[in-house]
Amino acid sequence: MSTVRVDPATATMISLIGSLADNKSALGRRYGEWAVSAPTIESAVAAAAMAQDELGHARSTYPVLDKLGVSRPEDPGLDAGHPMFVISQELPDWASFIAANLVVDGILTTFVASARDSSIEPLAQRARKILQEEGAHRVHAEAWARRIGRVGGEDLALLRRRIDEMWAEAARWPGPDSDSGYAEAVAAGMVDSGPAAIRARVRDWLLPLVDGMSLDEPTDWSDWNEQYRR
Amino acid sequence: MSRADETVWEVFARKEYPEPLHHVGTVTEDDEDLALVSARAIYDEQPWIEMIIVPRASIREAIRS
Repeated sequence: MSTVRVDPATATMISLIGSLADNKSALGRRYGEWAVSAPTIESAVAAAAMAQDELGHARSTYPVLDKLGVSRPEDPGLDAGHPMFVISQELPDWASFIAANLVVDGILTTFVASARDSSIEPLAQRARKILQEEGAHRVHAEAWARRIGRVGGEDLALLRRRIDEMWAEAARWPGPDSDSGYAEAVAAGMVDSGPAAIRARVRDWLLPLVDGMSLDEPTDWSDWNEQYRR
Repeated sequence: MSRADETVWEVFARKEYPEPLHHVGTVTEDDEDLALVSARAIYDEQPWIEMIIVPRASIREAIRS
Protein backbone atom coordinates (compact mmCIF):
# COMPACT_ATOMS: atom_id res chain seq x y z
CA MET A 1 0.00 0.00 0.00
CA SER A 2 1.42 3.40 -0.91
CA THR A 3 0.07 6.89 -0.40
CA VAL A 4 0.55 10.35 -1.75
CA ARG A 5 1.77 12.97 0.75
CA VAL A 6 -1.22 14.01 2.81
CA ASP A 7 -2.03 16.14 5.84
CA PRO A 8 -1.91 14.54 9.33
CA ALA A 9 -5.70 14.21 9.58
CA THR A 10 -5.96 12.35 6.27
CA ALA A 11 -2.95 10.18 7.17
CA THR A 12 -4.70 9.17 10.40
CA MET A 13 -7.92 8.37 8.54
CA ILE A 14 -6.00 6.26 6.01
CA SER A 15 -4.52 4.26 8.87
CA LEU A 16 -7.91 3.88 10.61
CA ILE A 17 -9.86 2.92 7.47
CA GLY A 18 -7.23 0.46 6.22
CA SER A 19 -6.96 -1.15 9.63
CA LEU A 20 -10.75 -1.20 10.02
CA ALA A 21 -10.99 -3.21 6.80
CA ASP A 22 -8.13 -5.53 7.84
CA ASN A 23 -9.79 -6.20 11.18
CA LYS A 24 -13.22 -6.73 9.70
CA SER A 25 -11.74 -9.24 7.27
CA ALA A 26 -10.04 -11.13 10.11
CA LEU A 27 -13.15 -10.96 12.30
CA GLY A 28 -15.23 -12.35 9.46
CA ARG A 29 -12.88 -15.30 9.13
CA ARG A 30 -12.90 -15.93 12.89
CA TYR A 31 -16.71 -15.80 12.98
CA GLY A 32 -16.86 -18.07 9.95
CA GLU A 33 -14.65 -20.71 11.58
CA TRP A 34 -17.21 -20.99 14.40
CA ALA A 35 -20.08 -21.43 11.95
CA VAL A 36 -19.19 -25.12 11.91
CA SER A 37 -18.63 -25.58 15.65
CA ALA A 38 -20.89 -23.20 17.58
CA PRO A 39 -22.70 -24.67 20.60
CA THR A 40 -26.10 -24.72 18.89
CA ILE A 41 -27.28 -24.80 15.28
CA GLU A 42 -28.97 -21.43 15.84
CA SER A 43 -25.64 -19.96 17.01
CA ALA A 44 -23.88 -21.51 14.02
CA VAL A 45 -26.28 -19.80 11.61
CA ALA A 46 -25.84 -16.49 13.46
CA ALA A 47 -22.03 -16.90 13.29
CA ALA A 48 -22.21 -17.56 9.54
CA ALA A 49 -24.45 -14.52 9.01
CA MET A 50 -22.11 -12.31 11.04
CA ALA A 51 -19.10 -13.67 9.13
CA GLN A 52 -20.77 -12.75 5.85
CA ASP A 53 -21.51 -9.24 7.17
CA GLU A 54 -17.92 -8.64 8.32
CA LEU A 55 -16.33 -9.88 5.11
CA GLY A 56 -18.76 -7.71 3.14
CA HIS A 57 -17.85 -4.70 5.28
CA ALA A 58 -14.14 -5.34 4.67
CA ARG A 59 -14.68 -5.66 0.93
CA SER A 60 -16.67 -2.43 0.75
CA THR A 61 -14.35 -0.46 3.06
CA TYR A 62 -11.04 -1.05 1.23
CA PRO A 63 -12.16 1.04 -1.81
CA VAL A 64 -12.63 4.08 0.47
CA LEU A 65 -8.83 4.17 0.60
CA ASP A 66 -8.76 4.81 -3.16
CA LYS A 67 -10.70 8.03 -2.59
CA LEU A 68 -7.97 9.16 -0.17
CA GLY A 69 -5.22 8.66 -2.74
CA VAL A 70 -3.96 5.28 -1.53
CA SER A 71 -2.82 2.85 -4.21
CA ARG A 72 -3.21 -0.75 -3.16
CA PRO A 73 -3.41 -4.16 -4.84
CA GLU A 74 -6.71 -4.82 -6.63
CA ASP A 75 -7.23 -8.04 -4.67
CA PRO A 76 -4.92 -8.09 -1.62
CA GLY A 77 -6.17 -11.51 -0.45
CA LEU A 78 -7.57 -12.51 2.90
CA ASP A 79 -4.18 -12.82 4.64
CA ALA A 80 -2.69 -9.55 3.40
CA GLY A 81 -3.81 -7.31 6.26
CA HIS A 82 -2.43 -6.59 9.72
CA PRO A 83 -5.31 -7.21 12.12
CA MET A 84 -5.15 -7.23 15.92
CA PHE A 85 -3.15 -10.20 17.17
CA VAL A 86 -6.13 -11.45 19.22
CA ILE A 87 -8.11 -12.14 16.04
CA SER A 88 -5.25 -13.12 13.74
CA GLN A 89 -5.57 -16.80 14.73
CA GLU A 90 -8.52 -19.13 15.19
CA LEU A 91 -10.45 -18.30 18.38
CA PRO A 92 -9.84 -21.10 20.90
CA ASP A 93 -13.27 -21.32 22.54
CA TRP A 94 -16.82 -19.96 22.37
CA ALA A 95 -16.04 -17.47 25.16
CA SER A 96 -13.39 -15.98 22.84
CA PHE A 97 -15.99 -15.70 20.08
CA ILE A 98 -18.35 -13.79 22.38
CA ALA A 99 -15.48 -11.65 23.73
CA ALA A 100 -14.49 -10.74 20.15
CA ASN A 101 -18.15 -10.03 19.38
CA LEU A 102 -18.34 -7.74 22.43
CA VAL A 103 -14.95 -6.06 22.46
CA VAL A 104 -13.38 -6.12 18.98
CA ASP A 105 -16.67 -5.72 17.11
CA GLY A 106 -17.68 -3.17 19.78
CA ILE A 107 -14.61 -0.97 19.30
CA LEU A 108 -14.72 -1.16 15.50
CA THR A 109 -18.45 -0.44 15.33
CA THR A 110 -18.15 2.47 17.75
CA PHE A 111 -15.47 3.93 15.48
CA VAL A 112 -17.75 3.40 12.47
CA ALA A 113 -20.57 5.18 14.34
CA SER A 114 -18.23 8.13 14.84
CA ALA A 115 -17.91 8.33 11.05
CA ARG A 116 -21.65 8.21 10.28
CA ASP A 117 -21.64 11.89 9.26
CA SER A 118 -18.02 12.00 8.10
CA SER A 119 -16.87 14.74 5.75
CA ILE A 120 -15.32 11.84 3.78
CA GLU A 121 -18.57 11.04 1.98
CA PRO A 122 -17.70 7.49 0.79
CA LEU A 123 -16.84 6.64 4.42
CA ALA A 124 -20.11 8.10 5.68
CA GLN A 125 -22.04 6.02 3.13
CA ARG A 126 -20.26 2.80 4.16
CA ALA A 127 -20.71 3.65 7.82
CA ARG A 128 -24.47 3.97 7.56
CA LYS A 129 -24.77 0.60 5.78
CA ILE A 130 -22.40 -1.12 8.23
CA LEU A 131 -24.29 0.25 11.25
CA GLN A 132 -27.58 -1.17 9.95
CA GLU A 133 -26.09 -4.67 9.92
CA GLU A 134 -24.07 -4.33 13.12
CA GLY A 135 -27.26 -3.92 15.15
CA ALA A 136 -27.80 -7.70 15.02
CA HIS A 137 -24.17 -8.31 16.07
CA ARG A 138 -24.69 -6.14 19.13
CA VAL A 139 -27.91 -7.96 20.06
CA HIS A 140 -26.10 -11.29 19.67
CA ALA A 141 -23.20 -10.18 21.88
CA GLU A 142 -25.47 -8.76 24.58
CA ALA A 143 -27.72 -11.81 24.66
CA TRP A 144 -24.78 -14.22 24.96
CA ALA A 145 -23.17 -12.07 27.68
CA ARG A 146 -26.43 -12.22 29.66
CA ARG A 147 -26.75 -15.96 29.05
CA ILE A 148 -23.21 -16.69 30.26
CA GLY A 149 -23.77 -14.32 33.17
CA ARG A 150 -26.84 -16.32 34.24
CA VAL A 151 -24.85 -19.57 34.07
CA GLY A 152 -21.96 -18.02 36.06
CA GLY A 153 -19.18 -20.23 37.42
CA GLU A 154 -16.36 -21.28 35.11
CA ASP A 155 -18.18 -20.12 31.98
CA LEU A 156 -18.40 -16.56 33.31
CA ALA A 157 -14.82 -16.62 34.63
CA LEU A 158 -13.58 -17.67 31.18
CA LEU A 159 -15.63 -14.97 29.44
CA ARG A 160 -14.16 -12.33 31.78
CA ARG A 161 -10.64 -13.57 31.03
CA ARG A 162 -11.27 -13.49 27.26
CA ILE A 163 -12.77 -10.00 27.48
CA ASP A 164 -9.67 -8.82 29.38
CA GLU A 165 -7.41 -10.31 26.68
CA MET A 166 -9.43 -8.72 23.87
CA TRP A 167 -9.67 -5.35 25.65
CA ALA A 168 -5.91 -5.20 26.23
CA GLU A 169 -5.41 -5.02 22.46
CA ALA A 170 -8.69 -3.71 21.04
CA ALA A 171 -8.76 -0.71 23.42
CA ARG A 172 -5.45 0.39 21.89
CA TRP A 173 -6.83 0.27 18.34
CA PRO A 174 -8.16 3.87 18.27
CA GLY A 175 -4.72 4.99 19.49
CA PRO A 176 -3.52 7.45 22.14
CA ASP A 177 -5.83 10.33 22.92
CA SER A 178 -2.90 12.71 22.39
CA ASP A 179 -2.69 11.79 18.66
CA SER A 180 -2.62 15.20 16.94
CA GLY A 181 -3.61 13.71 13.56
CA TYR A 182 -6.72 12.21 15.15
CA ALA A 183 -7.54 15.55 16.80
CA GLU A 184 -7.25 17.25 13.40
CA ALA A 185 -9.51 14.59 11.85
CA VAL A 186 -12.15 15.34 14.50
CA ALA A 187 -11.76 19.09 13.90
CA ALA A 188 -12.20 18.51 10.14
CA GLY A 189 -15.41 16.52 10.69
CA MET A 190 -13.93 13.28 9.38
CA VAL A 191 -15.05 11.59 12.62
CA ASP A 192 -17.03 13.02 15.51
CA SER A 193 -14.96 11.81 18.47
CA GLY A 194 -11.44 10.88 19.49
CA PRO A 195 -9.86 7.68 20.86
CA ALA A 196 -10.70 8.13 24.55
CA ALA A 197 -14.33 8.89 23.74
CA ILE A 198 -14.59 5.70 21.66
CA ARG A 199 -13.12 3.63 24.48
CA ALA A 200 -15.46 5.31 26.98
CA ARG A 201 -18.55 4.49 24.90
CA VAL A 202 -17.57 0.83 24.64
CA ARG A 203 -16.66 0.68 28.35
CA ASP A 204 -19.98 2.28 29.34
CA TRP A 205 -21.78 -0.38 27.30
CA LEU A 206 -19.76 -3.36 28.50
CA LEU A 207 -19.39 -2.73 32.23
CA PRO A 208 -23.09 -3.11 33.13
CA LEU A 209 -23.28 -6.14 30.83
CA VAL A 210 -20.53 -8.25 32.42
CA ASP A 211 -20.00 -7.93 36.18
CA GLY A 212 -16.51 -7.74 37.62
CA MET A 213 -14.66 -6.10 34.72
CA SER A 214 -12.48 -2.99 34.96
CA LEU A 215 -11.56 -2.25 31.29
CA ASP A 216 -8.83 0.25 32.08
CA GLU A 217 -7.63 3.03 29.80
CA PRO A 218 -4.40 1.96 28.03
CA THR A 219 -1.35 3.84 29.33
CA ASP A 220 1.75 2.30 27.72
CA TRP A 221 2.10 3.40 24.09
CA SER A 222 5.85 2.77 23.81
CA ASP A 223 5.49 0.01 21.17
CA TRP A 224 2.50 1.55 19.37
CA ASN A 225 2.47 1.00 15.59
CA GLU A 226 0.37 3.80 14.11
CA GLN A 227 0.05 2.15 10.71
CA TYR A 228 -1.20 -1.22 11.95
CA ARG A 229 -2.86 0.28 15.04
CA ARG A 230 -1.64 -2.35 17.47
CA MET B 1 -25.98 -25.28 29.17
CA SER B 2 -28.67 -27.83 28.38
CA ARG B 3 -31.00 -27.35 25.44
CA ALA B 4 -33.79 -29.08 27.34
CA ASP B 5 -34.57 -25.86 29.21
CA GLU B 6 -34.69 -23.72 26.10
CA THR B 7 -37.80 -22.21 24.60
CA VAL B 8 -39.13 -23.18 21.20
CA TRP B 9 -40.28 -20.13 19.27
CA GLU B 10 -42.67 -20.35 16.32
CA VAL B 11 -41.63 -17.99 13.52
CA PHE B 12 -44.17 -16.21 11.29
CA ALA B 13 -43.51 -13.82 8.40
CA ARG B 14 -45.12 -12.07 5.44
CA LYS B 15 -43.83 -10.54 2.22
CA GLU B 16 -46.51 -7.84 1.85
CA TYR B 17 -49.20 -6.35 4.03
CA PRO B 18 -52.41 -7.66 2.44
CA GLU B 19 -50.92 -11.13 2.88
CA PRO B 20 -51.42 -12.90 6.24
CA LEU B 21 -48.48 -13.95 8.41
CA HIS B 22 -47.35 -17.45 7.42
CA HIS B 23 -45.70 -19.99 9.65
CA VAL B 24 -42.12 -20.35 8.35
CA GLY B 25 -40.46 -22.48 11.03
CA THR B 26 -39.10 -22.58 14.57
CA VAL B 27 -36.00 -21.59 16.50
CA THR B 28 -34.85 -22.94 19.87
CA GLU B 29 -33.32 -20.35 22.22
CA ASP B 30 -33.74 -19.50 25.89
CA ASP B 31 -33.10 -15.81 25.20
CA GLU B 32 -35.72 -13.76 23.37
CA ASP B 33 -33.16 -11.47 21.69
CA LEU B 34 -31.08 -14.41 20.49
CA ALA B 35 -34.25 -16.01 19.17
CA LEU B 36 -34.90 -12.88 17.10
CA VAL B 37 -31.33 -12.88 15.74
CA SER B 38 -31.62 -16.58 14.88
CA ALA B 39 -35.01 -16.24 13.23
CA ARG B 40 -33.76 -13.43 10.98
CA ALA B 41 -30.58 -15.32 10.10
CA ILE B 42 -32.21 -18.71 9.47
CA TYR B 43 -35.39 -17.72 7.61
CA ASP B 44 -33.90 -15.13 5.26
CA GLU B 45 -34.95 -16.89 2.04
CA GLN B 46 -37.60 -14.26 1.22
CA PRO B 47 -37.66 -10.45 1.29
CA TRP B 48 -39.97 -10.38 4.33
CA ILE B 49 -41.48 -7.07 5.39
CA GLU B 50 -42.51 -8.46 8.79
CA MET B 51 -41.37 -11.36 10.93
CA ILE B 52 -42.57 -12.22 14.42
CA ILE B 53 -41.76 -14.93 16.92
CA VAL B 54 -44.11 -16.47 19.48
CA PRO B 55 -43.10 -18.80 22.32
CA ARG B 56 -44.72 -22.15 21.58
CA ALA B 57 -45.90 -22.37 25.18
CA SER B 58 -48.03 -19.25 24.66
CA ILE B 59 -50.06 -20.84 21.86
CA ARG B 60 -53.47 -22.17 22.88
CA GLU B 61 -55.31 -24.73 20.80
CA ALA B 62 -58.88 -23.78 19.89
CA ILE B 63 -59.55 -26.99 17.97
CA ARG B 64 -57.79 -30.32 18.08
CA SER B 65 -59.14 -33.33 16.22
